[in-house]
Amino acid sequence: MSVLAGRRIPYLLIAPAAIVLLLVVLYPFGFNVVISFSNMSMRHFRDWSLVGLDQYRRVFEDPVFYGLLGKTALWTAVNLVAHVSLGILLAMVLNQNLKGRAVFRTLLILPWAVPQYITALTWRGLFHSEFGDINLMLTRWLHLPPVNWLKTLPGSFTACAVTNIWLGVPFMMIVALGGLQSIPRQLWEAADVDGASALRKFFHITLPLLKPVLIPAVVLGTIWTFNNLNVVWLVTNGGEPADQMHILVSYVYRSAFFLYRYAYAAALSMIIFLILLTLGMTFLKRSRVEAGGGV
Amino acid sequence: MKPKATVRAFLSYTFLAAASLVAVYPVLRVVGVSLRPGDRLLSTSLRIIPEGATLESYRVLLLEQPFLRWMLNSTLVALAVTLVGVSLASAAGYAFSRYRFRGRQSGLAGLLITQMFPITMLLLPLYVMLSKLGLVNTFAGLIVAYSATAMPFCVWQMKGFYDTIPTSLEEAAGLDGCTGPSAYFRVVLPLTLPGLAVTSLFTFMTAWSEYLVAAQLIHDQDLFTLPLGLKNFQSNMTTEWGLYAAGAMIVSLPAIAVFLAVSRWLVSGLTLGSVKG
Amino acid sequence: MSHPVRWIILFSLITAVMGPAFLSGCGTGGDDRPLSIWHQMEGEGKDVLQIQIERFMRSHPGREVTQLYKETEELRTHFQTAALAGSGADLVYGPADQVGPFEAMGLIRPLEDLVDLDSSDWAEGALVTYRGHLYQIGDRVGNHVALVYNRSLVSEPPKDSEALIRMGRELTRDPDGDGNPDRYALVWNYSEPFFFIPFLSGFGGWVMDAEAHPTLGTPEMEAALRFAHDLPARHKIAPLDADRETADALFKSGRAAMIINGSWAWGGYGKAGIDYGVARIPMIKETGLWPAPMVSAKGYSINVNVEGERLERALELLEFLTSEDVQLEFSRVLHTIPARISARQSPIVTQDEVLRQSLHQLEAGRPMPVVPEMRAIWDAMRPQYQSVMAGTKSPADAARDMQALAERKIAEMNE
Repeated sequence: MSVLAGRRIPYLLIAPAAIVLLLVVLYPFGFNVVISFSNMSMRHFRDWSLVGLDQYRRVFEDPVFYGLLGKTALWTAVNLVAHVSLGILLAMVLNQNLKGRAVFRTLLILPWAVPQYITALTWRGLFHSEFGDINLMLTRWLHLPPVNWLKTLPGSFTACAVTNIWLGVPFMMIVALGGLQSIPRQLWEAADVDGASALRKFFHITLPLLKPVLIPAVVLGTIWTFNNLNVVWLVTNGGEPADQMHILVSYVYRSAFFLYRYAYAAALSMIIFLILLTLGMTFLKRSRVEAGGGV
Repeated sequence: MKPKATVRAFLSYTFLAAASLVAVYPVLRVVGVSLRPGDRLLSTSLRIIPEGATLESYRVLLLEQPFLRWMLNSTLVALAVTLVGVSLASAAGYAFSRYRFRGRQSGLAGLLITQMFPITMLLLPLYVMLSKLGLVNTFAGLIVAYSATAMPFCVWQMKGFYDTIPTSLEEAAGLDGCTGPSAYFRVVLPLTLPGLAVTSLFTFMTAWSEYLVAAQLIHDQDLFTLPLGLKNFQSNMTTEWGLYAAGAMIVSLPAIAVFLAVSRWLVSGLTLGSVKG
Repeated sequence: MSHPVRWIILFSLITAVMGPAFLSGCGTGGDDRPLSIWHQMEGEGKDVLQIQIERFMRSHPGREVTQLYKETEELRTHFQTAALAGSGADLVYGPADQVGPFEAMGLIRPLEDLVDLDSSDWAEGALVTYRGHLYQIGDRVGNHVALVYNRSLVSEPPKDSEALIRMGRELTRDPDGDGNPDRYALVWNYSEPFFFIPFLSGFGGWVMDAEAHPTLGTPEMEAALRFAHDLPARHKIAPLDADRETADALFKSGRAAMIINGSWAWGGYGKAGIDYGVARIPMIKETGLWPAPMVSAKGYSINVNVEGERLERALELLEFLTSEDVQLEFSRVLHTIPARISARQSPIVTQDEVLRQSLHQLEAGRPMPVVPEMRAIWDAMRPQYQSVMAGTKSPADAARDMQALAERKIAEMNE
């Protein structure tokens, strides 16, 4: 129970947020659902009609789809692991009573503070095979051969991943730091008295207490990474090399706005959505069970 | 200091220094380009401060472009979005955390679900809908769109933070004779400040650096936000990256400032220990 | 209900309601809104346009006109979305090939019944028609690439491909021998197939036939791809990697003696202090053909949502913007070729060396197809072209794949 009693209160509290969300999300979502069953494209832009499951069939029959799925899954996994581990690690190191940690904290926040399109383009420049800093450093300081980053698929993938990890770690770090702040130091001190090792302290105290704060961030982070158009599009200049470096969302963008295949793009978006929905719900159910039903 | 602690401190500092270097390097690169004289953009020099560094780019930017106007617009929009987003989110988050009501689970799930839809497909119908509401080419339209984008994460965050505050606190306050508004403001609110900090930071950043929606929605140059101004501006000099980089730096500074202002709350050593037993 | 709750709710509602208080600019509005032009004229072009608009407003008091710059692709996307929703700019300015898609989607108005033109005074391709209707009135023709050379490094531009390679070897300098030349002879955009077209036509190939079927899987395409690839890879007179920005930057900094780029960029070179000259892209020795870049008009179309009195005013503006005076002003500043043939008699055109050379190149050019299939062909060519320039695909494979991809994309587009 709380200080505020009354049965209607929760609904009143939620109402404003709900209204805004429904307005901005529900209509477009509905529109997309309908369009995905239509033939909206260049030839049928204003006068489209419903054609059933045609577009969905096309998506699954397109061999490109499966490659995209794989790339997107790999992309999400790599990013997520890096974001969370580096974020927690940095947060833990920062949480100590070190002199000058405010300075470090400020510096580490910078990737997040600078607008994404600027940094994405900067990273693209850094990976330039002839004039980019990374190859210059490789050849000059480490005497290694230059890597043709943006012209090969693995190179391109790495470039995008490095950029996105660089962009996403500060966020995880802040969330983890916020969570660490609310863990009372006495708990760790008590564990020290009991002679617990650093690892045990981490897994038995830190991690469990971080979970309520981390879980939303991780779930949302996964979804955002899966759906991250900006980074992939800007670093690869729209899919280079040769239109291969695409994840599902960037392909949707290209299909809709460059090839006018709106209905196809809508169907693909629905499929992306359903994939995420299934994954999300499964994950939540499991974590709910673990946490003992107290979400 | 015990030797183990010294080693640990040393390792920590080294690690932080290395991480900071990686974090900062691309930004330094942008600074470097913004200071480059004329058109020396493609150099194989790794110097951060280029030879003949000059502030000319900044001067041209601030004096010859409506940069300050864009700044004002972005500030207006970002502040409004933060205000709306944070207040709506903390209200909703509180409800989700403290109450058990019908539709709670689906509500929470719903928040999550809204994130799963790729934004690219929402652009066209969003525009159509905003057009029907007469919000095209207005700040209100932007505010509505941005608030909705940031909302789900913020509600989840606030809910999470409220979760970490046991209701026993509010009850204890009640027992001490502290009820209603004062209980909320004196006891609960201060404990959620880290949550509010993260939430407002996030909302502000979203609104400050968003490009796609703003580009489609805003048709009036007077209403340009910073990302629009910069992009529109980038056209003026297809390769004059100096000006673009200078613009990028100026755009980033307020974002950094906001973070610094808010980071205080992230460090406040509030604990739950005060309610033991 | 206790106080804090009321406070929270009130606060939330107030802030949510305050939002619409920021209703500035014109959301809905009657027909007294200013006429708006969306265009993709960069830099100086934008400045000239603004000056002309101000002239129009002075001679038509009470009429407000605004202009907004968007990058070509963005312009197309934003206009599509806006026009579908019933809004968007009144006039949209862009290259002729935007007409095909816009017409297919029903976004622009046919103009032949609304304007009174003496079509004989207009250059070929300036009045853009599609499927029997006039959709775009051009103010300039060209948009073609040519060979631009740095006069302080190159006294006489090469006339054919052999001379190009020979000259190139002399011009490319690598003083410290670290494999990174300090200066290249030639550079161009390796990312956009538009810049590759001269090579293709120089070897006798083209992108499509009269029925808009792609003709990409040809031996001519193969030969052209090989030639383009060899310039950096074999003859080493061009960098291994260059996109639009890189190529531009190299030429502007004097680190490339020559560049293949279009007239939109030349003004910028002048501003950067390069003493530049324009010439025809060298003839291909093996075939004896002059490379033919794609030539197209750029002009104004009218949004299908504009009607009534507003339409009248938009047409007036359109007439003004395509008048001889305005065309010549753009010619003077940007070295563009006016669409009106009578304007070409003006000394502004005849005494401009750069313009004359540009016209010379234009005469060897070939009109760019405006049919929607062109987009699919670009999309099919782009990845293969990039792969060949990057050395990851053979010209033969690329040509074959281009053809297959183009056919597939056209089928998808027409579904």
